[in-house]
Amino acid sequence: MDYLLALAATGVIMGIIYALMAMGLTLIFSILNVINFAHGEFYMLGGYFSYFLLTLFTGLNPFVAVFLSGLLVSVIGLIFEFFFLRPMHLGRIERPPEYAVLITFGLSFFLQNLALAVFGPYPHRPTSFFSGAVDLGVVRVSTDRLTASVLSLILLGLLLLLINKTWIGKALQAVSQNKDAAAVVGINPLRMNTIAFSLGVGLAAIAGALLAPSFSIMPDVGAVPSIRSYVIIVLGGMGSIPGSILGGVLIGLVESLGAGYFPDPSRGLTYKTSFGLIIFALVLLFRPRGFFGRKER
Amino acid sequence: MKAKDNFSLSLQWILGGILLVIALLVPLFAQTYWLHVLIIAYFYALLASSWSLLAGYAGQFSFGHMAFMAIGAYTTGLLGRYFGIGPFLGIIFGTLMAGLMGLAIGALVLRFKASYLALFTIAFSEILRMILNGESDITRGDQGLSIVPLLGEEIISRVPYYYIMLAVLLVCMVLMYWLANSRVGLFLRAIREDEEAAAARGVNVVRYKVLTFVVTSMIAGLAGGFFAHYITLITPNIMIIPQMGLVIAMAIVGGVESLFAAAMGGIIIQVSLEVLREFGAWRLVIFGALLIITLRFARDGLIAPIMQKVMGTAPKAELRTQTDAQKVAKEDVLDES
Repeated sequence: MDYLLALAATGVIMGIIYALMAMGLTLIFSILNVINFAHGEFYMLGGYFSYFLLTLFTGLNPFVAVFLSGLLVSVIGLIFEFFFLRPMHLGRIERPPEYAVLITFGLSFFLQNLALAVFGPYPHRPTSFFSGAVDLGVVRVSTDRLTASVLSLILLGLLLLLINKTWIGKALQAVSQNKDAAAVVGINPLRMNTIAFSLGVGLAAIAGALLAPSFSIMPDVGAVPSIRSYVIIVLGGMGSIPGSILGGVLIGLVESLGAGYFPDPSRGLTYKTSFGLIIFALVLLFRPRGFFGRKER
Repeated sequence: MKAKDNFSLSLQWILGGILLVIALLVPLFAQTYWLHVLIIAYFYALLASSWSLLAGYAGQFSFGHMAFMAIGAYTTGLLGRYFGIGPFLGIIFGTLMAGLMGLAIGALVLRFKASYLALFTIAFSEILRMILNGESDITRGDQGLSIVPLLGEEIISRVPYYYIMLAVLLVCMVLMYWLANSRVGLFLRAIREDEEAAAARGVNVVRYKVLTFVVTSMIAGLAGGFFAHYITLITPNIMIIPQMGLVIAMAIVGGVESLFAAAMGGIIIQVSLEVLREFGAWRLVIFGALLIITLRFARDGLIAPIMQKVMGTAPKAELRTQTDAQKVAKEDVLDES
């Protein structure tokens, strides 16, 4: 029982961070109708930026580094959106859905190789937020991971406030529901696209920067988190914000419990991510629109 | 007009013939090293052109093509290692295995929107790689699974391998060309342009998508089998996502709507990777940038338009923007309902 609780606690702690990243993907999908296949690479960039900020400016507060790297990646996202995704919404691109898949995948290929060329294949690890571990009663968690989780939780809360209470948030919701109607009431859908994309990739970057002290950063470090996020958004329902939070926590639980109860725990750790694929298949078989997805084919 | 068509058709055959003769004569004057480069280039050409059959003709994007290639490679490798099954039988099993996995995934995912295939296959590919890495007791993981050479240990000359890989490439290309220009190919293009309209006209959309997915997966598996028995040592790294990205770059830069252009893209990019060796890791950055720029500014690829100029065939894409506009309009109507 204690073991179960310990695994569950770890699962929830990680799940909240997963949710933050998946939330970024959801935001982009619900506004731009684009699945960002470069989401993992923005996560990776977030980690690298916070590492280099901390090494360049010694004495910089690690939390400041996290948010600065999120901001920097947002700017990169903004530039990419403007030059490569906006033309799609202006009707200058043939077959937009195909283009969206390929251009974001192309970006992922480009960024991953760029990181390899610039930073090299070796792992980098930024300084910890706090050293040591915290005893939560049922389980001892490394302080870094707990900090990352708490910060993610706060960010998720702020994001929900932004989406539900502010004008921009309501405008985003309006665009996600109906682009033309939103335009009629004076919302510029193109601007909302840019906001959603740079905010979404910024969230991925913050997740990357938050987890960088726990897991090192390498050029291919984004693959697993991005795949996890795909599973989460399919499970939660494509484009659903509550779905991505619930999905994130659930995937965190499944990974933690699955790895803990796997017949051979060391193997279980290797297979952690593959439970996600099983869930993906099950969702497609039994409830293709996930928890809160809009009904569609 | 008619005369011009005939002329361009015969020109097409003449140019194809010249290329084939050059390809056949290469071993007479090329060094062993360049033969090796070309063998690998043909392997990539096969992957790029089969990916383009799926993406460019049927409009379905799989990020698991390298995973099917790896299934072909590991099936024959493991069967040979543990059951002593010979290379040729192993390659056949590998091809069938890739087809079977393709069927399972296709039947599960192709009922949904195209983006689900991309999502599922990228997850499948990474997780298969992790499993192959994790089960290192069986697969030897990162240390690599050693595989017997296709023609036995005695033959060290690259020449027979060169002709085998060329033959595999040509046979598969002919098969895919036939498929793309058959009734099935027509259905595929109809599905790509407008899935609902195709379904309304009586095309069994899911069946033809699954069929194409299985065929292209089998070709990837076949390519993987021959590759494994040529290179003789495989690791799960052959299927990392950047490798998939490279194959996609080849197909897109070549021209994803033409099997031949995609294959040429594969050959040209693979050879350039060798020529530009001194640039190290920056080569892939260059091709990544090229991929993005091609997608944005030259959707038909860079090689396909040149081919069309030379052959004098008219580009077939004139009407597409109009159908797209109609499609968008229709989607808007659907959204509102």
